[in-house]
Amino acid sequence: MSSNDGIGRLRAIEQQFDTERASVVDRKALEDTRARYLSRKSGLLTLELQNLGKLPKEDRAEFGRVANEIKIKIETALESLQTSIDTVDKQRTLEREALDVSLPGNRRRIGHQHPLTKVWKEIEDIFISMGYTVEDGPEVESTYYNFDALNIPLTHPARDPRDTFYVAENLLLRTHTSPVQVRTMEKTQPPLRIICPGRVFRRDPFDPTHSPMFHQVEGLVVDEGITFADLKGTLERFHKLFFGEHTNTRLRPSFFPFVEPGAEVDVSCVFCDGSGCRVCKGTGWIEVMGAGMVHPNLYRFVNYDAQKYTGFAFGGGIDRYTMLKYNIHDLQLFFQNDMRFLEQFP
Amino acid sequence: MKVSYAWLKEFVEIRETPQQLGTRLTNLGLTVDALEPQAGDFVFELDVPTNRPDCLSHLGVAREIAAAMGSPLKLPKFELREKEKLASEIFSISIEDSDLCARYCGRYIAGVKIGPSPEWLRTRLEALAVRSINSVADVTNYVMLELGQPLHAFDADKLQAQQIIVRRAEFDEKMKTLDGMDRDLNPSMLVIADAHRAVAIAGVMGGADTEISDATRNVLLESANFDPASIRKTSRALGLSSEASYRFERGADVEMARYACDRAAALIQSLADGSCYRGVIDVYPRPRIPVTAMLRRQRIEAFLGARVEDTIVERILERLGFTAKHTADGWIIDVPSHRLDVTREEDLLEEVARHHGFDKFPATLPTWRGYGSGLPRESKERMLRNHLAAAGYTEIIPLAFSDEATERKFSSDTEPIRLLSPIAEDEGILRTSLVPTMLRTIQWNTNRGTRDLQFYELGKIYGQTGESRRLILAATGALRTKNVHEEERPFNFYDLKGDVEDILDVFGLRLNSTSEPVPAYYHPGRAFRDGDLVACGELHPGTLEEYKFRNRVYIAELDLDMILKSGEQQPIQAIPRFPSIRRDFSLLLDKGMRYADVQEAILRLGIPELVRIEPFDRMETGPFPESKYALAISLTYQSPERTLTDAEVESFDKIILNSLKTRLNAELRQ
Repeated sequence: MSSNDGIGRLRAIEQQFDTERASVVDRKALEDTRARYLSRKSGLLTLELQNLGKLPKEDRAEFGRVANEIKIKIETALESLQTSIDTVDKQRTLEREALDVSLPGNRRRIGHQHPLTKVWKEIEDIFISMGYTVEDGPEVESTYYNFDALNIPLTHPARDPRDTFYVAENLLLRTHTSPVQVRTMEKTQPPLRIICPGRVFRRDPFDPTHSPMFHQVEGLVVDEGITFADLKGTLERFHKLFFGEHTNTRLRPSFFPFVEPGAEVDVSCVFCDGSGCRVCKGTGWIEVMGAGMVHPNLYRFVNYDAQKYTGFAFGGGIDRYTMLKYNIHDLQLFFQNDMRFLEQFP
Repeated sequence: MKVSYAWLKEFVEIRETPQQLGTRLTNLGLTVDALEPQAGDFVFELDVPTNRPDCLSHLGVAREIAAAMGSPLKLPKFELREKEKLASEIFSISIEDSDLCARYCGRYIAGVKIGPSPEWLRTRLEALAVRSINSVADVTNYVMLELGQPLHAFDADKLQAQQIIVRRAEFDEKMKTLDGMDRDLNPSMLVIADAHRAVAIAGVMGGADTEISDATRNVLLESANFDPASIRKTSRALGLSSEASYRFERGADVEMARYACDRAAALIQSLADGSCYRGVIDVYPRPRIPVTAMLRRQRIEAFLGARVEDTIVERILERLGFTAKHTADGWIIDVPSHRLDVTREEDLLEEVARHHGFDKFPATLPTWRGYGSGLPRESKERMLRNHLAAAGYTEIIPLAFSDEATERKFSSDTEPIRLLSPIAEDEGILRTSLVPTMLRTIQWNTNRGTRDLQFYELGKIYGQTGESRRLILAATGALRTKNVHEEERPFNFYDLKGDVEDILDVFGLRLNSTSEPVPAYYHPGRAFRDGDLVACGELHPGTLEEYKFRNRVYIAELDLDMILKSGEQQPIQAIPRFPSIRRDFSLLLDKGMRYADVQEAILRLGIPELVRIEPFDRMETGPFPESKYALAISLTYQSPERTLTDAEVESFDKIILNSLKTRLNAELRQ
């Protein structure tokens, strides 16, 4: 057996591999090809190498060199085939795994906070940031705290059982949160700065603008040197924080038995920004609060020194502020608790 | 109150348009609710504050305008021709109850010819929505609208014995009022009477018997001043109010009575002929006590927040009818009789602020030391609310009213708070439980096609012993609705129980599984209760039926105070350094055996290395006797000091399984 024959066969194997390699496109073909040429038992190259011993001594080196060269060449080629097959495989896997990402996500149910609570807490936070303390009190109140101690005369129409829910002769459902102010003043000397948010009741049948139960926030500041100008500034700041910096606040003279001077408080219309629309009836202003300087008669009830201290008080409807904030025109929506309404508040 | 633009102009020169005047009135505190053109004139609908009865007339409103504009106020001009003969010679007036009538002015006008009013008068009254009746009646209304003084005209010939007596009504006295109604009177009411009977309810309404008719020849004109509280009480008691009672209730100017009487008499003379007897019969038992008040210069700035020039202060007060005299530190002010609302310095400060203009004062923020804060448990409450929202519960706020029959079913032992005059029959009490309002809310939604619901309310319940805040959770329908990604999964009892456990966890509370009886509206086999802290479970099928619910409804009631009162953060544990070992067992238990019994039996062994017990499977039937069920539990062991050995763990297993076998007859399933 001559070395030329041997080398010739090696070259033939090499040639055969060069022809075949183009058809190796998947993992299976790759493994078959690897086995056909390099298998330890039956690989073509392996079998050929077994003939090494039969070659003349002087030819063995050359044969071995060529055989090794071809082996490395095949191995390198198989490796690169392997890499490209892997790449294609990975690509196919990615393609196979593709989802229709345009389908909607699978969402868990998240609950919604009631709009009145949202606004209630927002108002609390604004006043807390301005240095106020939040106070609360009972909803079933005595006529003393609800009327007498607030300078509301016995003859005042608000005391009429047609306007107020009585539960006993001198017991009623509070018609405002002012009783909390009186209760707080009774136990605290000035300086005092509080807000009293809470539920109140008036004998109004349920309709788009009335409810027998609604929510109010009232504020009270008593200290030395508190002025009417401070009341203006406080309400102006509150409304800017609540409705936005562009909001203007205006006070108009009015009358409430527990303040003097008394004022109605308007904000520039949140819907038309003061230019006049249907909601503000073309005036550019919306009434939101009653306010004023604390009437000196109130200090008598709680033993404050009326010569030393002055103060202001204000009160508005949380429900009304919520309606304005979210452009809601029917108060009943708040208390029907229809999910289709509530779910609109994130 | 309706006010005519043209009429106002008779008392004060106005160069402003009705719209401009409207803004001015609103800024003075006389809020314009409406402004409408009316037959060549404009009519303002004014919201006059209850403390300003002096503005319930054109003169009063004009006085405010005059003061604001700095123009003079002109009083009406009229000329009264009197006969020689004194009115007091042919007619007598007396006041028996002067506590309720401070003054009574009367004039006697003879020989009137009753007929319709002239065009100008009818137009003016009708523009202000006052019906024209006849010349004399119209004059009384006209002068009331002009000067604010209510007047009444009697047919003098129907007044027996030519006299007026102002007295309290007698027991069971009766009278027919102008509106044709028979009125039952009593001594709490003041009446105008003649020698024999009541002929008018003082300050409220005249009587039909003495009404001016076409046949009337002689008129007795009344211009009086009655006690506000008495008028209000009478008006309420009779369910009868009038323009007159509206004004008297708020307080009329006692000094106006005589002037108004003359003014009306003069008008009657010119419109219905007649001749006026000389003099006003003026009975004035309680003359007005002059009112003075002090105003300190320094107080203006201290109270209102800005200085106001002395000249401005004086001008404002004088134009409003006050008389100001200088003192060392300000003024002493005489209050005019029409300003019943002014008695003290603050009242005067208000006048200064109002007429100087609220907009003239700066907007400042009070300066102070200290800090603000929420209610004591506010941050915990917000944590709870956030947790509930994250768990899928939406907050509801229902009305707090309910009916007693419903409430009885849900809290039979609470004595409710009953409203004395509810708006509706089924809103007669304050709720004693959060359950009925919650069920009604679910009903509202399911009736409108929303079936999958998770709600919570953090609200008050009320009873004779007080009010307290509670938390209620409710759920019905699907927890997960069928969609392209997954199958539907109905909300179940254990979902609710898990949510309750999660909430209690947040506040460091643990649920004690007890077998206390649950309220009757719960499914007896699918509910539990832990003292006053929690009642929780599926609604009783009977209750479901009552509310026509098609799906099961789950509710949990929690005591909010107990939850928020607790809530101490548990100490944070270091992450264990040594591995834990988990062992799973499948136990065969007698049917009816509760998981709590298994847990208790294991825990009572007190193995400190046992850190967790968790049931993870349960089979009701299988290759085991019918009287048994299979419960798979996993036990987790861990030591903070070292890695546990297999031998140790096996010995724990053995102790536990032996104990379960002896105590509960639990077999290990092979």
